[in-house]
Amino acid sequence: MTGIVALKSAYAVVWGIQLLYIWYLVGRYRSVRREMKDLERSK
Amino acid sequence: MKNLSIAFVIFTLALLGFSTYQALVVAPTEQTMGDVQRIFYYHVPSAWVAGVCFFVNFLASIVYLWKRNLNADALAAASAEVGVVFCTIVLITGPIWARPVWGIWWTWDARLTTTLVLWLIYVSYLVLRRFASGSQTQVLAAALGIFGFVDVPIVYMTIRWFRTQHPSPVMGGGQNSGLAPEMLHAFLWNLLAFTCVGICLIAARYVLQKMENQVEAAHAQLALRGGAR
Repeated sequence: MTGIVALKSAYAVVWGIQLLYIWYLVGRYRSVRREMKDLERSK
Repeated sequence: MKNLSIAFVIFTLALLGFSTYQALVVAPTEQTMGDVQRIFYYHVPSAWVAGVCFFVNFLASIVYLWKRNLNADALAAASAEVGVVFCTIVLITGPIWARPVWGIWWTWDARLTTTLVLWLIYVSYLVLRRFASGSQTQVLAAALGIFGFVDVPIVYMTIRWFRTQHPSPVMGGGQNSGLAPEMLHAFLWNLLAFTCVGICLIAARYVLQKMENQVEAAHAQLALRGGAR
């Protein structure tokens, strides 16, 4: 593995993991919002 | 509050752009390692954010055990999760740097091993919170958060206490340590940017945890009403 390939891979890992986590948070947020709306309707 | 949050996110994104430019363009290429040394500008700030997150988890766990404050518990959950994200980045970018520099991906030296143990401790913390049921889950998680934090200063000190394959401290490591000014600027900008990203992520996860707590409480109330009928 050359230096520039390693740098690009590390760069992809840093932002890839953070974006994946943000995507996971957004998914979880949507599901909680949906559940909150269902609860309000059931009241 | 919402406007302030949006302004902080925009500030963080601008800071990230600027710090990336500093790390990849402005900072000079290191003479021995070449471009691969630039991983340092992401690896070390990620480790810093992970350490700060685990410290926040430690403090929030103490407050929860002391006051049984649910906000403290939500903050502990949020900070542990974000800490694991950044610790994962550290554990992956480290070997990517090591392969061209050391010729190996991994070695069981003190710094690497204690960092892996740290990651495992907080992954187990998240697993406990996710899968344990019952009223004692939050108490057990808080206890694990407090005792798990013991590994953070150990990770920090390993390169001072032992002769490790991992490089010795770049800053605060004695007379021969230190960075060239241009490198130091790039490093500090990245440290600031990553800290702001960490704050944004913890805040978002904290809000989410509080919403989940609300839903859980509403479900419990509904179940009680159903049982009463």
